[in-house]
Amino acid sequence: MIVSTQHKWILLGIVILLPILAWIHLTAGIISIETGTIFDAIFSYDDNNTLHVITREIRIPRMTMAIIAGAGLSIAGLLMQTLFNNPLAGPYVLGINSGASLFVAFSIMTGIPFLTSDLGIVTNALIGAFIFGLIIVLFSELIRSQISLLLVGLMLGSFTSAIVSMLQTVSGAEELKVFTLWALGSLMRVDSAQLPLIVLIFSIGLAMTFLLVKPLNVLVMGQKQAQLMGIHYRRVRILIIFVTALLTGLITAFCGPIAFVGLAVPNLLKLLMKTQNHGVLLIAAALFGAAFVLACDIIIQLMENSFMVPINVFTSIIGAPIVVLLVLRRLR
Amino acid sequence: MIALKDLHIGYKQSVASCRDLIIPEGEVSVLIGKNGSGKSTLLKSITGEIPLLKGDILIDGKSISSFTRKELPFAVAFVPAHFPLVDFLRVEEYIALGRSPHTSFLGRLSPKDKNEVRIAAKSLGIDHLLHRFTSELSDGEKQLSSIARAIVQESKCILLDEPTAFLDYSNKVRVHEALKEIAKKLNKTILLSSHDIDLSLEIAESFIVINNASKEISQLINPTKQEILAQAFEIE
Repeated sequence: MIVSTQHKWILLGIVILLPILAWIHLTAGIISIETGTIFDAIFSYDDNNTLHVITREIRIPRMTMAIIAGAGLSIAGLLMQTLFNNPLAGPYVLGINSGASLFVAFSIMTGIPFLTSDLGIVTNALIGAFIFGLIIVLFSELIRSQISLLLVGLMLGSFTSAIVSMLQTVSGAEELKVFTLWALGSLMRVDSAQLPLIVLIFSIGLAMTFLLVKPLNVLVMGQKQAQLMGIHYRRVRILIIFVTALLTGLITAFCGPIAFVGLAVPNLLKLLMKTQNHGVLLIAAALFGAAFVLACDIIIQLMENSFMVPINVFTSIIGAPIVVLLVLRRLR
Repeated sequence: MIALKDLHIGYKQSVASCRDLIIPEGEVSVLIGKNGSGKSTLLKSITGEIPLLKGDILIDGKSISSFTRKELPFAVAFVPAHFPLVDFLRVEEYIALGRSPHTSFLGRLSPKDKNEVRIAAKSLGIDHLLHRFTSELSDGEKQLSSIARAIVQESKCILLDEPTAFLDYSNKVRVHEALKEIAKKLNKTILLSSHDIDLSLEIAESFIVINNASKEISQLINPTKQEILAQAFEIE
């Protein structure tokens, strides 16, 4: 596909912006930490120094999660939009988050030690996201209308939250507390020991998306035409659902459900870059998505003195109006 | 060259059938038949989208069932009646998608690929549209872009499902003339379905006609309009 110089400038802009945002994110917060202290915490760590501990155990994991959540959800949204040929698709509206939520709820509320461990929760979130992805694929075979598929996704979400509510009424006080905190959505629950596993799974998902660049470009012409162009549609579709479930499940497991990033970011990007070249769009979605969630979380950090806003609440406040504007733009 | 051999096509029940006939290369053949007579079914059978009920279809002597997924785009290109509804897809990008069977794993375009896109666009007189979005094009320009996409695919045959259905008269003529020239210049087998018998007679000699009543597919070479009407719709 064609990469214009304009795209290169936009990508370069985000590449420069991202570390700046990451740095602001590290230094923002109630306790002020100097730039030099952050360097020391990374390169000459002293575990008696409280500021070093805060940087390593709280600030860096939180920043990493903001980047991973933004990049992962934006890529997942782009994949869903192209696969279903629907600009309003995304992991949240199609209920793929809900699948992860439901399975996490099961694993937390059972109280079985393995299931409540990190690995147990992640595995369950991935399985839940994948199963719900397959359910959406099944419905997409039966339904032609784009809007109907979104409604099915929303119904999956409502159905899931009803089941989760039922689970909550029968679970113990401790499990209920753990789950309620999880469901609020937060970038702060991850510690430095969990980061390697998260970064590993995220990298696998990211690497797999680049196997999908060519099929995604061809899929823009629709399923039938893509098949005539030599694309193995069923295989590509399963791979797309798998990558989406991997990224969405991972992020949902550790940060709770985060709405609208996957829907809003790819659409804003397409408006900005005006292309359907997925080589460019995937890179841009990762970078721009990371920058978007970092920026949201910086604002949350700056407000923390007066009140605490969960990340999911904040992305919804910004994302929902954007989506309404997109719908209005399409209906015009 | 496409050869139909003792063919029965359809989904579960036979929609239409024919004995042996040959759709020649280097020229345009026109597929005529009433709505629902099986024109699209025949086109989909040739692209391998629908399995054959009986008989065989050969492209340059090779059975379509023996083409692998990767080989198929080199044999047949298909231009659907409806243009894909996508935002922010530039004409240049869209035509270049036709090169995807030729590109490597990541789909990067070589200078040759980009050149093919320009040549095809120029030959159809749409090179000034390359940087426009496909969503902004007129119906005629969309159809010409789709044909350009099929040309750069470099397949032996190009099938078109009612390419002139939504076009005004001048665009119909433009698309027809372009197809005739491509068939001749690039020695391709072109089969298009159409309801415009008068216009088709100006560019084609070979007519594939599906009879309304008997569902028999037959070929007429250099027919008159009356002969086509009689064969397809049993109108005297």
